[in-house]
Amino acid sequence: MLRIENLHKSFGDLQVLEGIDLQVKKSEVVVIIGASGSGKSTLLRCINFLEYSDQGKIYIEGQLLNEKNEREINQMRARVGMVFQHFNLFPHKTVIENVMEGLTQVRKISKFEAKKIAYKYIEKVGLTDKEKVYPAMLSGGQKQRVAIARALAMEPVVMLFDEPTSALDPELVGEVLLVMKELAREGMTMVVVTHEMGFAREVADRVIFMDDGQILEVGTPEDIFDRPQNERSQAFLSAII
Amino acid sequence: MEFINVIIKYIPLFLPAAWMTIQITVLGITIGVLLGLAGAFLRISDKWWVNAIARIYIFVIRGTPLLLQLFIFFYVLRQALSLDSMTAAFLALGLHNGAYITEIFRGSIQSIDHGQMEAARSLGMSYPRAMIRIILPQAFKRSIPPLGNQFIIALKDSSLASAITINEVLLQAQRLAAANYKMLEMLTIAAIFYLFYTSIFTWLVNRLEAWLNVDSK
Repeated sequence: MLRIENLHKSFGDLQVLEGIDLQVKKSEVVVIIGASGSGKSTLLRCINFLEYSDQGKIYIEGQLLNEKNEREINQMRARVGMVFQHFNLFPHKTVIENVMEGLTQVRKISKFEAKKIAYKYIEKVGLTDKEKVYPAMLSGGQKQRVAIARALAMEPVVMLFDEPTSALDPELVGEVLLVMKELAREGMTMVVVTHEMGFAREVADRVIFMDDGQILEVGTPEDIFDRPQNERSQAFLSAII
Repeated sequence: MEFINVIIKYIPLFLPAAWMTIQITVLGITIGVLLGLAGAFLRISDKWWVNAIARIYIFVIRGTPLLLQLFIFFYVLRQALSLDSMTAAFLALGLHNGAYITEIFRGSIQSIDHGQMEAARSLGMSYPRAMIRIILPQAFKRSIPPLGNQFIIALKDSSLASAITINEVLLQAQRLAAANYKMLEMLTIAAIFYLFYTSIFTWLVNRLEAWLNVDSK
Protein backbone atom coordinates (compact mmCIF):
# COMPACT_ATOMS: atom_id res chain seq x y z
CA MET A 1 0.00 0.00 0.00
CA LEU A 2 2.62 2.49 1.14
CA ARG A 3 6.34 1.90 0.88
CA ILE A 4 9.11 4.26 1.85
CA GLU A 5 12.72 3.52 1.00
CA ASN A 6 15.78 5.20 2.41
CA LEU A 7 14.16 8.58 2.99
CA HIS A 8 16.47 11.46 3.88
CA LYS A 9 15.50 15.02 4.71
CA SER A 10 17.36 17.92 6.20
CA PHE A 11 16.47 21.51 6.93
CA GLY A 12 19.71 23.38 6.29
CA ASP A 13 22.34 21.69 8.42
CA LEU A 14 19.79 19.89 10.51
CA GLN A 15 19.30 16.30 9.45
CA VAL A 16 15.69 15.46 10.26
CA LEU A 17 15.26 12.08 8.59
CA GLU A 18 18.18 9.74 8.19
CA GLY A 19 17.30 6.84 5.97
CA ILE A 20 13.75 5.84 6.82
CA ASP A 21 12.40 2.54 5.50
CA LEU A 22 8.78 1.74 6.12
CA GLN A 23 6.06 -0.40 4.66
CA VAL A 24 2.42 -0.12 5.51
CA LYS A 25 0.04 -2.84 4.41
CA LYS A 26 -3.58 -2.36 3.44
CA SER A 27 -5.86 -1.89 6.46
CA GLU A 28 -2.89 -1.63 8.75
CA VAL A 29 -2.77 0.99 11.50
CA VAL A 30 0.75 2.20 12.13
CA VAL A 31 1.34 4.56 15.01
CA ILE A 32 4.53 6.58 15.13
CA ILE A 33 5.72 7.72 18.53
CA GLY A 34 8.79 9.58 19.69
CA ALA A 35 9.95 12.79 21.30
CA SER A 36 9.40 16.21 19.75
CA GLY A 37 11.92 16.83 17.00
CA SER A 38 12.42 13.15 16.32
CA GLY A 39 11.17 13.59 12.75
CA LYS A 40 7.74 11.94 13.07
CA SER A 41 5.76 14.80 11.59
CA THR A 42 8.33 15.45 8.88
CA LEU A 43 8.13 11.80 7.85
CA LEU A 44 4.36 12.08 7.56
CA ARG A 45 4.60 15.33 5.60
CA CYS A 46 7.13 13.80 3.22
CA ILE A 47 4.68 11.04 2.35
CA ASN A 48 2.30 13.44 0.63
CA PHE A 49 5.04 15.87 -0.40
CA LEU A 50 4.12 18.74 1.86
CA GLU A 51 7.85 18.47 2.45
CA TYR A 52 10.14 17.34 -0.31
CA SER A 53 12.63 14.72 0.77
CA ASP A 54 16.26 15.08 -0.28
CA GLN A 55 16.66 11.45 -1.14
CA GLY A 56 14.58 8.30 -1.08
CA LYS A 57 11.61 6.72 -2.77
CA ILE A 58 7.93 6.71 -1.93
CA TYR A 59 5.50 4.22 -3.44
CA ILE A 60 1.75 4.44 -3.00
CA GLU A 61 -0.20 1.41 -4.19
CA GLY A 62 2.93 0.26 -5.97
CA GLN A 63 3.38 3.51 -7.88
CA LEU A 64 6.69 5.29 -7.45
CA LEU A 65 6.01 8.98 -7.02
CA ASN A 66 7.98 11.47 -9.01
CA GLU A 67 8.21 14.74 -7.08
CA LYS A 68 8.91 16.68 -10.27
CA ASN A 69 5.54 15.76 -11.74
CA GLU A 70 3.14 18.26 -10.19
CA ARG A 71 0.10 16.63 -11.74
CA GLU A 72 1.01 13.22 -10.44
CA ILE A 73 1.62 14.64 -6.97
CA ASN A 74 -1.79 16.34 -6.99
CA GLN A 75 -3.48 13.13 -8.06
CA MET A 76 -1.68 11.24 -5.31
CA ARG A 77 -2.64 13.84 -2.69
CA ALA A 78 -6.28 13.42 -3.64
CA ARG A 79 -5.98 9.76 -2.65
CA VAL A 80 -4.04 10.35 0.56
CA GLY A 81 -6.06 11.89 3.37
CA MET A 82 -4.25 14.22 5.73
CA VAL A 83 -5.41 15.43 9.12
CA PHE A 84 -3.44 18.24 10.73
CA GLN A 85 -2.72 19.13 14.30
CA HIS A 86 -4.35 22.53 13.88
CA PHE A 87 -7.28 21.24 11.77
CA ASN A 88 -6.73 23.82 9.02
CA LEU A 89 -10.40 24.04 8.16
CA PHE A 90 -11.29 26.73 5.66
CA PRO A 91 -12.79 29.47 7.86
CA HIS A 92 -14.70 31.14 5.03
CA LYS A 93 -16.62 27.96 4.24
CA THR A 94 -19.30 26.17 6.21
CA VAL A 95 -18.81 22.65 7.50
CA ILE A 96 -20.45 21.05 4.50
CA GLU A 97 -18.62 23.36 2.09
CA ASN A 98 -15.33 22.36 3.71
CA VAL A 99 -16.11 18.72 3.12
CA MET A 100 -17.37 19.33 -0.42
CA GLU A 101 -14.40 21.43 -1.52
CA GLY A 102 -12.10 18.61 -2.57
CA LEU A 103 -14.96 16.73 -4.20
CA THR A 104 -16.07 19.57 -6.44
CA GLN A 105 -12.69 21.19 -7.07
CA VAL A 106 -10.41 18.18 -7.37
CA ARG A 107 -12.55 15.19 -8.14
CA LYS A 108 -14.87 17.34 -10.26
CA ILE A 109 -18.00 15.80 -8.84
CA SER A 110 -21.20 17.81 -9.36
CA LYS A 111 -22.36 19.95 -6.46
CA PHE A 112 -25.43 17.83 -6.05
CA GLU A 113 -23.50 14.57 -5.76
CA ALA A 114 -20.76 16.16 -3.65
CA LYS A 115 -23.35 17.33 -1.15
CA LYS A 116 -24.66 13.81 -0.73
CA ILE A 117 -21.18 12.38 -0.23
CA ALA A 118 -20.20 15.19 2.13
CA TYR A 119 -23.32 14.68 4.19
CA LYS A 120 -22.56 11.00 4.53
CA TYR A 121 -19.16 11.72 6.05
CA ILE A 122 -20.44 14.53 8.26
CA GLU A 123 -22.93 12.02 9.59
CA LYS A 124 -20.14 9.53 10.10
CA VAL A 125 -18.25 11.92 12.38
CA GLY A 126 -21.48 12.78 14.18
CA LEU A 127 -21.96 16.41 13.16
CA THR A 128 -25.16 16.39 11.14
CA ASP A 129 -26.58 19.30 13.12
CA LYS A 130 -23.53 21.43 12.30
CA GLU A 131 -23.39 21.13 8.52
CA LYS A 132 -24.33 24.75 7.88
CA VAL A 133 -22.22 26.47 10.53
CA TYR A 134 -18.80 28.05 10.07
CA PRO A 135 -15.74 26.50 11.70
CA ALA A 136 -15.41 29.43 14.11
CA MET A 137 -18.58 28.21 15.83
CA LEU A 138 -17.20 24.74 16.53
CA SER A 139 -15.19 23.34 19.43
CA GLY A 140 -11.71 21.99 18.75
CA GLY A 141 -12.92 18.42 18.81
CA GLN A 142 -15.71 19.20 16.38
CA LYS A 143 -13.29 21.02 14.08
CA GLN A 144 -11.01 18.03 13.99
CA ARG A 145 -13.92 15.73 13.23
CA VAL A 146 -14.87 17.98 10.30
CA ALA A 147 -11.25 17.85 9.14
CA ILE A 148 -11.41 14.06 9.26
CA ALA A 149 -14.68 14.09 7.30
CA ARG A 150 -13.10 16.42 4.73
CA ALA A 151 -10.23 13.98 4.22
CA LEU A 152 -12.50 10.91 4.22
CA ALA A 153 -14.85 12.37 1.64
CA MET A 154 -12.06 12.05 -0.92
CA GLU A 155 -12.24 8.30 -0.30
CA PRO A 156 -8.51 7.99 0.33
CA VAL A 157 -6.50 4.79 0.21
CA VAL A 158 -4.56 5.83 3.28
CA MET A 159 -5.11 8.41 6.01
CA LEU A 160 -2.25 10.33 7.59
CA PHE A 161 -2.84 11.86 11.01
CA ASP A 162 -0.34 14.44 12.22
CA GLU A 163 -0.83 14.74 15.99
CA PRO A 164 -4.59 15.08 15.54
CA THR A 165 -5.34 15.55 19.23
CA SER A 166 -2.34 17.59 20.37
CA ALA A 167 -4.08 20.95 20.02
CA LEU A 168 -7.24 19.84 21.81
CA ASP A 169 -8.40 20.41 25.34
CA PRO A 170 -8.15 17.13 27.23
CA GLU A 171 -11.90 16.63 27.44
CA LEU A 172 -12.21 16.87 23.64
CA VAL A 173 -9.56 14.28 22.78
CA GLY A 174 -11.89 11.34 23.31
CA GLU A 175 -14.41 12.24 20.61
CA VAL A 176 -11.68 12.49 17.98
CA LEU A 177 -10.02 9.24 19.02
CA LEU A 178 -13.41 7.55 18.89
CA VAL A 179 -13.83 8.51 15.23
CA MET A 180 -10.32 7.28 14.50
CA LYS A 181 -10.94 3.97 16.25
CA GLU A 182 -14.08 3.48 14.22
CA LEU A 183 -12.09 4.09 11.04
CA ALA A 184 -9.46 1.59 12.06
CA ARG A 185 -12.16 -0.95 12.79
CA GLU A 186 -13.58 -0.48 9.31
CA GLY A 187 -10.22 -1.33 7.82
CA MET A 188 -8.88 2.09 6.84
CA THR A 189 -5.14 2.13 6.31
CA MET A 190 -3.77 4.69 8.74
CA VAL A 191 -0.46 6.22 9.70
CA VAL A 192 -0.82 8.15 12.92
CA VAL A 193 1.69 10.39 14.66
CA THR A 194 0.46 10.82 18.19
CA HIS A 195 1.28 11.12 21.85
CA GLU A 196 -1.87 9.20 22.79
CA MET A 197 -0.28 5.99 24.05
CA GLY A 198 -3.64 4.52 25.05
CA PHE A 199 -4.80 4.86 21.45
CA ALA A 200 -1.55 3.33 20.17
CA ARG A 201 -1.84 0.37 22.48
CA GLU A 202 -5.47 -0.26 21.70
CA VAL A 203 -5.65 0.39 17.97
CA ALA A 204 -2.20 0.06 16.42
CA ASP A 205 -1.15 -3.02 14.52
CA ARG A 206 2.39 -1.78 14.68
CA VAL A 207 4.08 0.91 16.71
CA ILE A 208 7.17 2.67 15.47
CA PHE A 209 9.51 4.48 17.79
CA MET A 210 11.47 7.29 16.16
CA ASP A 211 14.39 9.20 17.55
CA ASP A 212 16.78 11.64 15.87
CA GLY A 213 15.41 11.00 12.41
CA GLN A 214 15.68 7.24 12.60
CA ILE A 215 13.35 4.37 13.29
CA LEU A 216 14.83 2.78 16.38
CA GLU A 217 12.22 0.19 17.12
CA VAL A 218 9.23 -1.39 15.39
CA GLY A 219 6.84 -3.87 16.89
CA THR A 220 3.39 -4.72 18.11
CA PRO A 221 2.05 -2.44 20.84
CA GLU A 222 2.89 -5.14 23.38
CA ASP A 223 6.47 -5.35 22.13
CA ILE A 224 6.99 -1.63 22.29
CA PHE A 225 5.12 -0.76 25.46
CA ASP A 226 5.79 -3.85 27.57
CA ARG A 227 9.18 -5.03 26.32
CA PRO A 228 11.00 -2.14 24.66
CA GLN A 229 14.41 -3.32 23.51
CA ASN A 230 16.11 -0.09 22.67
CA GLU A 231 17.58 2.01 25.45
CA ARG A 232 16.13 5.23 24.13
CA SER A 233 12.66 3.85 23.63
CA GLN A 234 12.81 2.56 27.19
CA ALA A 235 13.78 6.01 28.41
CA PHE A 236 11.06 7.71 26.34
CA LEU A 237 8.34 5.34 27.44
CA SER A 238 9.27 5.42 31.10
CA ALA A 239 9.18 9.21 30.93
CA ILE A 240 5.66 9.42 29.52
CA ILE A 241 3.81 6.45 30.98
CA MET B 1 -25.51 83.89 7.51
CA GLU B 2 -23.97 85.56 4.50
CA PHE B 3 -21.27 82.85 4.60
CA ILE B 4 -23.82 80.05 4.39
CA ASN B 5 -25.79 81.81 1.65
CA VAL B 6 -22.65 82.07 -0.46
CA ILE B 7 -21.93 78.40 0.04
CA ILE B 8 -25.45 77.36 -0.92
CA LYS B 9 -25.35 79.60 -3.95
CA TYR B 10 -22.05 78.25 -5.23
CA ILE B 11 -22.44 74.53 -4.53
CA PRO B 12 -24.20 73.83 -7.87
CA LEU B 13 -21.24 75.37 -9.70
CA PHE B 14 -19.05 72.64 -8.18
CA LEU B 15 -21.07 69.73 -9.49
CA PRO B 16 -19.17 69.15 -12.78
CA ALA B 17 -15.87 69.36 -10.84
CA ALA B 18 -17.21 66.98 -8.20
CA TRP B 19 -18.09 64.55 -10.97
CA MET B 20 -14.56 64.89 -12.32
CA THR B 21 -13.10 64.11 -8.89
CA ILE B 22 -15.21 60.97 -8.69
CA GLN B 23 -14.21 59.86 -12.17
CA ILE B 24 -10.47 60.17 -11.78
CA THR B 25 -10.60 58.67 -8.28
CA VAL B 26 -12.68 55.66 -9.26
CA LEU B 27 -10.69 55.03 -12.43
CA GLY B 28 -7.44 55.52 -10.51
CA ILE B 29 -8.51 53.10 -7.79
CA THR B 30 -9.68 50.52 -10.32
CA ILE B 31 -6.33 50.59 -12.10
CA GLY B 32 -4.59 50.61 -8.73
CA VAL B 33 -6.44 47.49 -7.58
CA LEU B 34 -5.65 45.64 -10.81
CA LEU B 35 -2.00 46.65 -10.65
CA GLY B 36 -1.99 45.80 -6.95
CA LEU B 37 -3.29 42.29 -7.60
CA ALA B 38 -0.73 41.71 -10.34
CA GLY B 39 2.01 43.27 -8.21
CA ALA B 40 1.15 41.12 -5.20
CA PHE B 41 1.47 37.96 -7.27
CA LEU B 42 4.85 39.10 -8.53
CA ARG B 43 5.88 39.94 -4.97
CA ILE B 44 5.06 36.51 -3.56
CA SER B 45 6.80 34.66 -6.38
CA ASP B 46 9.86 32.71 -5.33
CA LYS B 47 11.62 33.56 -8.58
CA TRP B 48 13.90 36.44 -7.64
CA TRP B 49 13.64 38.29 -10.94
CA VAL B 50 9.84 38.21 -10.90
CA ASN B 51 9.94 39.54 -7.39
CA ALA B 52 12.47 42.17 -8.47
CA ILE B 53 10.07 43.63 -11.05
CA ALA B 54 7.52 44.35 -8.34
CA ARG B 55 10.16 45.61 -5.91
CA ILE B 56 11.53 48.09 -8.43
CA TYR B 57 8.00 49.30 -9.24
CA ILE B 58 7.26 49.87 -5.56
CA PHE B 59 10.67 51.42 -4.94
CA VAL B 60 10.26 53.99 -7.70
CA ILE B 61 6.61 54.86 -7.08
CA ARG B 62 6.74 55.03 -3.31
CA GLY B 63 10.02 56.88 -3.42
CA THR B 64 8.83 59.76 -5.59
CA PRO B 65 6.00 62.27 -5.03
CA LEU B 66 2.67 61.77 -6.73
CA LEU B 67 2.89 65.33 -8.04
CA LEU B 68 6.09 64.45 -9.89
CA GLN B 69 4.42 61.36 -11.32
CA LEU B 70 1.48 63.46 -12.48
CA PHE B 71 3.90 65.86 -14.17
CA ILE B 72 5.63 62.99 -15.97
CA PHE B 73 2.30 61.76 -17.28
CA PHE B 74 1.09 65.23 -18.17
CA TYR B 75 4.20 66.83 -19.68
CA VAL B 76 5.98 63.76 -21.08
CA LEU B 77 3.73 60.76 -21.60
CA ARG B 78 0.61 62.69 -22.56
CA GLN B 79 2.29 63.94 -25.73
CA ALA B 80 4.25 60.78 -26.43
CA LEU B 81 1.15 58.60 -26.13
CA SER B 82 -1.28 61.33 -27.22
CA LEU B 83 -3.49 61.04 -24.13
CA ASP B 84 -5.96 63.62 -22.93
CA SER B 85 -5.32 65.31 -19.58
CA MET B 86 -7.91 63.30 -17.72
CA THR B 87 -6.45 60.02 -18.93
CA ALA B 88 -2.99 61.17 -17.88
CA ALA B 89 -4.39 62.02 -14.44
CA PHE B 90 -6.13 58.74 -13.71
CA LEU B 91 -3.29 56.67 -15.15
CA ALA B 92 -0.85 58.45 -12.83
CA LEU B 93 -3.20 57.97 -9.88
CA GLY B 94 -3.66 54.31 -10.76
CA LEU B 95 0.04 53.64 -11.10
CA HIS B 96 0.69 55.43 -7.83
CA ASN B 97 -1.98 53.60 -5.86
CA GLY B 98 -1.03 50.28 -7.43
CA ALA B 99 2.28 50.34 -5.60
CA TYR B 100 0.63 50.79 -2.21
CA ILE B 101 -2.15 48.31 -2.97
CA THR B 102 0.47 45.75 -4.05
CA GLU B 103 1.86 45.85 -0.55
CA ILE B 104 -1.62 45.72 1.01
CA PHE B 105 -2.51 42.60 -0.98
CA ARG B 106 0.89 41.00 -0.43
CA GLY B 107 0.60 41.56 3.31
CA SER B 108 -2.86 40.06 3.54
CA ILE B 109 -1.99 37.05 1.37
CA GLN B 110 1.06 36.34 3.48
CA SER B 111 -0.91 36.80 6.69
CA ILE B 112 -3.06 33.75 5.88
CA ASP B 113 -1.91 30.81 7.95
CA HIS B 114 0.34 28.49 5.97
CA GLY B 115 -1.83 25.57 7.08
CA GLN B 116 -4.58 26.80 4.76
CA MET B 117 -2.42 26.29 1.70
CA GLU B 118 -1.26 22.93 3.02
CA ALA B 119 -4.79 21.76 3.67
CA ALA B 120 -5.86 22.79 0.17
CA ARG B 121 -2.83 21.14 -1.44
CA SER B 122 -3.32 17.99 0.63
CA LEU B 123 -6.77 17.63 -0.95
CA GLY B 124 -5.01 17.56 -4.31
CA MET B 125 -5.65 21.15 -5.41
CA SER B 126 -3.10 22.80 -7.67
CA TYR B 127 -1.36 25.93 -6.39
CA PRO B 128 -3.42 28.35 -8.53
CA ARG B 129 -6.67 26.68 -7.57
CA ALA B 130 -5.76 26.73 -3.88
CA MET B 131 -4.93 30.41 -4.24
CA ILE B 132 -8.23 31.27 -5.90
CA ARG B 133 -10.50 29.07 -3.78
CA ILE B 134 -8.87 29.22 -0.37
CA ILE B 135 -6.22 31.89 0.08
CA LEU B 136 -7.49 34.89 -1.89
CA PRO B 137 -11.03 35.01 -0.46
CA GLN B 138 -9.59 35.11 3.05
CA ALA B 139 -6.82 37.52 2.09
CA PHE B 140 -9.26 39.84 0.34
CA LYS B 141 -11.34 40.06 3.47
CA ARG B 142 -8.30 41.01 5.51
CA SER B 143 -7.26 43.61 2.99
CA ILE B 144 -10.55 45.55 3.23
CA PRO B 145 -9.64 47.89 6.11
CA PRO B 146 -6.25 49.00 4.72
CA LEU B 147 -7.73 49.08 1.23
CA GLY B 148 -10.52 51.38 2.41
CA ASN B 149 -7.90 53.61 3.94
CA GLN B 150 -5.96 53.66 0.68
CA PHE B 151 -9.14 54.58 -1.24
CA ILE B 152 -9.64 57.59 0.99
CA ILE B 153 -6.03 58.63 0.45
CA ALA B 154 -6.55 58.23 -3.31
CA LEU B 155 -9.64 60.39 -3.20
CA LYS B 156 -7.81 63.20 -1.47
CA ASP B 157 -4.73 62.75 -3.66
CA SER B 158 -6.91 63.32 -6.70
CA SER B 159 -6.82 67.01 -5.73
CA LEU B 160 -3.20 67.07 -6.93
CA ALA B 161 -4.54 66.62 -10.45
CA SER B 162 -5.50 70.29 -10.19
CA ALA B 163 -1.83 70.95 -10.89
CA ILE B 164 -2.18 69.41 -14.34
CA THR B 165 -5.26 71.43 -15.34
CA ILE B 166 -7.84 68.84 -14.34
CA ASN B 167 -10.88 70.80 -13.30
CA GLU B 168 -11.69 68.84 -10.19
CA VAL B 169 -13.06 70.16 -6.90
CA LEU B 170 -9.97 71.96 -5.64
CA LEU B 171 -9.11 73.68 -8.93
CA GLN B 172 -12.72 74.75 -9.27
CA ALA B 173 -12.54 76.32 -5.81
CA GLN B 174 -9.42 78.23 -6.78
CA ARG B 175 -10.88 79.36 -10.07
CA LEU B 176 -14.11 80.62 -8.56
CA ALA B 177 -12.28 82.35 -5.73
CA ALA B 178 -10.05 84.14 -8.21
CA ALA B 179 -13.16 85.70 -9.68
CA ASN B 180 -15.30 86.34 -6.58
CA TYR B 181 -12.59 86.83 -3.93
CA LYS B 182 -14.43 84.46 -1.57
CA MET B 183 -11.53 82.10 -0.94
CA LEU B 184 -12.72 80.83 2.47
CA GLU B 185 -16.20 80.02 1.19
CA MET B 186 -14.92 78.29 -1.95
CA LEU B 187 -12.40 76.19 -0.01
CA THR B 188 -15.12 75.33 2.49
CA ILE B 189 -17.29 74.01 -0.32
CA ALA B 190 -14.35 71.94 -1.58
CA ALA B 191 -13.88 70.57 1.95
CA ILE B 192 -17.60 69.72 2.16
CA PHE B 193 -17.33 67.67 -1.03
CA TYR B 194 -14.28 65.79 0.20
CA LEU B 195 -15.90 65.09 3.56
CA PHE B 196 -19.04 63.91 1.82
CA TYR B 197 -17.07 61.53 -0.38
CA THR B 198 -14.88 60.18 2.40
CA SER B 199 -18.00 59.57 4.53
CA ILE B 200 -19.57 57.57 1.74
CA PHE B 201 -16.34 55.60 1.23
CA THR B 202 -16.05 54.85 4.92
CA TRP B 203 -19.65 53.74 5.09
CA LEU B 204 -19.26 51.51 2.03
CA VAL B 205 -16.08 49.92 3.38
CA ASN B 206 -17.74 49.26 6.74
CA ARG B 207 -20.73 47.70 5.04
CA LEU B 208 -18.48 45.52 2.93
CA GLU B 209 -16.53 44.45 5.97
CA ALA B 210 -19.67 43.55 7.89
CA TRP B 211 -21.03 41.69 4.91
CA LEU B 212 -17.82 39.66 4.46
CA ASN B 213 -17.68 38.95 8.14
CA VAL B 214 -20.45 36.38 8.05
CA ASP B 215 -18.04 33.67 9.14
CA SER B 216 -17.03 35.89 12.08
CA LYS B 217 -13.56 34.64 12.75
